[in-house]
Amino acid sequence: MVNYNSLTVLLTVPLVASMLAWFIPKGIQRLYAVFSSLCILALTLYQAAPVLFASTSAAVIEHKLAWLPEIGVSLNFRLDSVSGWFVALNAIVAILAFSLKGVWYRKNPRLFTSLGFFLVSALNTAFLSADLIVFYLAYEAVFIPMIFMVGIWGEQAKATAVFRFFLMSFLGSVLMLVSIFYLVNLYHEQSGIYSSNLFDLIQATAGKNSPNLKWCFIGFFLAFAIKVPLFPFHGWLKDVYTLAPMPATIWMSAILSKLGVFGFIRFVSPIFVESSQGYQGILLTLAAISVVYAAFLAIRSNDSKSLLAYSSVSHLGFVMMGVFTFNPGGNASAILLSVGHTLVSAMLFYILHLIQERQTDLGLETSHGFAKLYPTLFTVFFIAVLASMSLPGTLNFAGEFLVLIHSYAASALCTIISGVGVILGAVYMLKFYQQLGFGKNTTVTINSNTGAKDLAGYDLVVLSVLVLMLIYFGFQPEIFLKGN
Amino acid sequence: MTEVMVEPWMLLVVAMIVFAIGLLGVILRKNLLVMLMCVELMLNAVNLSFVAFSRMHQTLQGDITVLFVMTVAAAESAVGLGLIIAMFRTLKTVDSDQIQMLRD
Amino acid sequence: MSLSLLIFLPLIGFLFNGFYHLKMARSEQKSSAMISGVIATGVMFAAFLVACTYYYMLSQLPADGRLFEQTLFQWMKLGGLNVSFALRLDSLSSLFVLIITGVGSLIHLYSIGYMSEDETPAKYFSFLNLFCFMMLNLVLGSNLPHVFLGWEGVGLASYLLIGYWYQDKDKVLAGQKAFIMNRIGDLGFLIAMFIAYKFVGSLDLIDLQKATLTPHVTTVFGLLIFFACTGKSAQIPLFTWLPDAMAGPTPVSALIHAATMVTSGIYLLTRLSPIIEASNTVLTVIGMVGVTTAFVAALMACAQTDIKKILAYSTISQLGFMFLACGVGSFESGVFHVMTHAFFKALLFLGAGSVIHALHEEQNIFKMGALRAKLPITSITFIAGWAAILGLPPFSGFFSKDEILWQSLSSPHGNVMLFIIAAASAFLTAFYMTRLLVLVFFGKSRVDPAKQKHIHEAPMTMAIPLMVLGVLSLVGGWFGEHHEHSGQEMMVMAASVILAGLGAGIAYQKYKNFEGEEKTNQFLMSGMGVDLAYLSVFAKGTGTLSKWFTTYVEEMIVQRTLRWSTAVVGLSGNLFRVVQVGSTQAYLMMILIAIVAIMAWVFLGVGQYGKL
Repeated sequence: MVNYNSLTVLLTVPLVASMLAWFIPKGIQRLYAVFSSLCILALTLYQAAPVLFASTSAAVIEHKLAWLPEIGVSLNFRLDSVSGWFVALNAIVAILAFSLKGVWYRKNPRLFTSLGFFLVSALNTAFLSADLIVFYLAYEAVFIPMIFMVGIWGEQAKATAVFRFFLMSFLGSVLMLVSIFYLVNLYHEQSGIYSSNLFDLIQATAGKNSPNLKWCFIGFFLAFAIKVPLFPFHGWLKDVYTLAPMPATIWMSAILSKLGVFGFIRFVSPIFVESSQGYQGILLTLAAISVVYAAFLAIRSNDSKSLLAYSSVSHLGFVMMGVFTFNPGGNASAILLSVGHTLVSAMLFYILHLIQERQTDLGLETSHGFAKLYPTLFTVFFIAVLASMSLPGTLNFAGEFLVLIHSYAASALCTIISGVGVILGAVYMLKFYQQLGFGKNTTVTINSNTGAKDLAGYDLVVLSVLVLMLIYFGFQPEIFLKGN
Repeated sequence: MTEVMVEPWMLLVVAMIVFAIGLLGVILRKNLLVMLMCVELMLNAVNLSFVAFSRMHQTLQGDITVLFVMTVAAAESAVGLGLIIAMFRTLKTVDSDQIQMLRD
Repeated sequence: MSLSLLIFLPLIGFLFNGFYHLKMARSEQKSSAMISGVIATGVMFAAFLVACTYYYMLSQLPADGRLFEQTLFQWMKLGGLNVSFALRLDSLSSLFVLIITGVGSLIHLYSIGYMSEDETPAKYFSFLNLFCFMMLNLVLGSNLPHVFLGWEGVGLASYLLIGYWYQDKDKVLAGQKAFIMNRIGDLGFLIAMFIAYKFVGSLDLIDLQKATLTPHVTTVFGLLIFFACTGKSAQIPLFTWLPDAMAGPTPVSALIHAATMVTSGIYLLTRLSPIIEASNTVLTVIGMVGVTTAFVAALMACAQTDIKKILAYSTISQLGFMFLACGVGSFESGVFHVMTHAFFKALLFLGAGSVIHALHEEQNIFKMGALRAKLPITSITFIAGWAAILGLPPFSGFFSKDEILWQSLSSPHGNVMLFIIAAASAFLTAFYMTRLLVLVFFGKSRVDPAKQKHIHEAPMTMAIPLMVLGVLSLVGGWFGEHHEHSGQEMMVMAASVILAGLGAGIAYQKYKNFEGEEKTNQFLMSGMGVDLAYLSVFAKGTGTLSKWFTTYVEEMIVQRTLRWSTAVVGLSGNLFRVVQVGSTQAYLMMILIAIVAIMAWVFLGVGQYGKL
């Protein structure tokens, strides 16, 4: 127990920033947003430092406030080695998403910034809450800004995509809500008290294995599997990713997907110990299929954004392999790979946006040869591509290697199948990079405003920091593993 | 001529008739102004029944409530009238079938 | 002085040249081949000096304790797994380090001349340094993940250098092919690591060497490691990338695709030899694959017309010899051949580069001829390389190749069949190398008259490496371990020299006065259709699979289910929307009806509340 208010500031400060955005002139919204998210990052690191930089994984900061004692709902925030990194990543992703210039800073910029900070706040609540009802509320609240962003700044024909996205996610989360109620009730039957606290519920289900609990497990599973997404629940993803404005895409692929990963680690595996073990074979198979299947779809994609969308699914399949080992080592490596995936996918979409700012035609049927025009940008791009292929020496390699070495103990076959994804990953990522960077530059599609400029200034700094992080943590992943 | 005592139930019957007229007016008439007037009619019917009950029970609560209702009704009709005028200015109509903006 | 200097020197060169390139490229200026080349060569030469010092220091230690180790930092630690980033130098790795830094610095030097006209020499040198950095990690790594870092890293550098002229899409695709085929092999490496961790509990190379595994696990592990080696060392079935890799600049072919990277398979097998040797199945497979590759690739080399392709197939064939040596359990002779091969094959490639340079990018041997007089240094050194690869005494190849032939016959794992195929490959080697030599340097000139005037000998930076390597090709074999030769071994030696002479003689007769262009066997020239078969099976297969997945599974099942379920929800929404007519009065009517209904329910006793 550290400072009393230490954790609530992580929720309230973004919320205040969200409201403050309405009083900031439109012209400096981007400046305001980036600066505020930098402050949030600093605040997060400061608050979470005792946990993040502790030498063991046992350090915890907890903060409890009563809210609705009659039905046992409390504002119970918990920052430990699982949630700590996701909260930190949330702040980093916010910086990246706010840094992009685009239509969102021209049309209704205040609304954009406001929604963005609301999203940050909701995500932090979801990551920090140890109370399932509060988690559920935050989990749902995340949708609101997402749907607005796709709806307002997205590309054409977005209504159906948004509808499907909403519907699938909502289906999962409603089932989760029902499961939560069942668990709360179960605890009530045992102890006579209503509580939706994680640890009470873990206690309630400990050692039990009833059919109803299996149904609850499926409810939770669906909610998170759709969020990640895991094959075959990925149907909503491609359209939403491609139609969403780039910051929303970054948010979705980099951090919203981690909400699913986090949910599995934080809630599903401790609450449903028996069911998770029982279904482990199926779960690992689904994860392995995700890896390979999405990789095949990515190979086929001729559109940069959908290629990256599917590659994201494929890599999250690896993360899920680690999660589904249901042991501390596998989970720690899954978190490590999550960090890598967050940074790399955010970086790739960021770079894609920078190229889009300069060039209008980014189809992958022909080769464009942009590398000659933008040497620095494409160097950074190449490093991101390598990290995405999990080349040794990058953070993603450390994650993927540790994940697979743990999942091999659980299921050799699934690990080998997903290993094919390593090869396919090279196929589509190289195709992606080569079609954009290599070949002769014959297409004249330069965007007249910013067309000729190489990577410089702010973007250069941001991307260089990310590159350094990927390589540094690739060799020093200890901080994420903490002797697990 | 024998004096007919006005029994409270008679007042209630009148109130019921007036209320029904008002209600039908609100539902069936298309003119917002007429609809507003019908709302007033319904309010007055309620007032009448209040008075009747007050007399029936020989208490004063009903009469006092009527005074309140009359004050509020005066304010309400003023606001309602203002709204209708504002709507007429912007929409050039006071036909309730034409005004369906919330539907879409 | 520390071991880490060995890897940090090339790293510094890489970073310097990388940033130098970026700085120049950003301002659209040409980087200087001299500055970048001197830095790159300098760091490599410095690393070579360090390597020599360590070699000397190592030889001063007692024979059973020849080991230097330096742990730089802890890399990955999780549960029982503890992977440190540590360098380890023993006699095997010191030999490889000497080759990498020695031959490497010569090729760096050569590149200064070769790449002087290039647009972006700094980029070239940075990649070359990156390659050396990764290669040194590969041979110095103390555990499998560290070796794997180098293993994939050299693949990356190879990709970058094959597709160095990236505006040419074919070259890029050649690089991509190399990278992906290597990755297929790397999957074997990865799975081997998982198995090793599961059954040994450690990935440290020394622990693995000491480990005792069940026969079954040993075989699987050995085969997976060997599969990884076939990718990196271009053996059957993953050899088809190497001929395509010739798209890169010639010095790159000399360094990466002849002297160093492709031999890393031999390094890995030798490093893990205790496990490999423990399984007869693995040894047999390695021997068979090695000798088959040696023979088949030699056959293919006979039908090539491109000077670099001949050398590429020759490299595959020579690597086959090395694997043969490993397969018969004679790892030392395999490593010995790695060394001599590094000298003479690098020399041959650099000589070929010098010829190509002189003829302005002409690579067809039927458009060369009679270059001996015009390129004296190149031709003399090339002849030295030729003699070495043929195995003519006293050139270096003689010692190593005869050792392999002898082992393939006499070792407990060898047999007559392996020997005969190997000898036949040696004969073919003599044939195609003599064909190459005669067509390029002797006979009549078939050079394009327009290019005839401009033929010039290589500049000094290119000539010096040629001369040094020429000398090494001569003397490189003299330092092998000498032992008493039995009579039978002398017979084998004599037979192989006679075979080589025979092959050379036939080729000389056939090609000494050759004119026009030879119609070669298309089947052999195209690599026996293996490449095409892979293309249609794997490349097309992947394409077809992804097409099926996209159109059938994704579109027809996943998306359609989603569409239908959304449609169902949408329809039910519309159903209830009918009620929302939007007219206030209609709503009032509904309210009225509802109130009446409720009142009826309550007061007329329709529902249970009526009975109250």
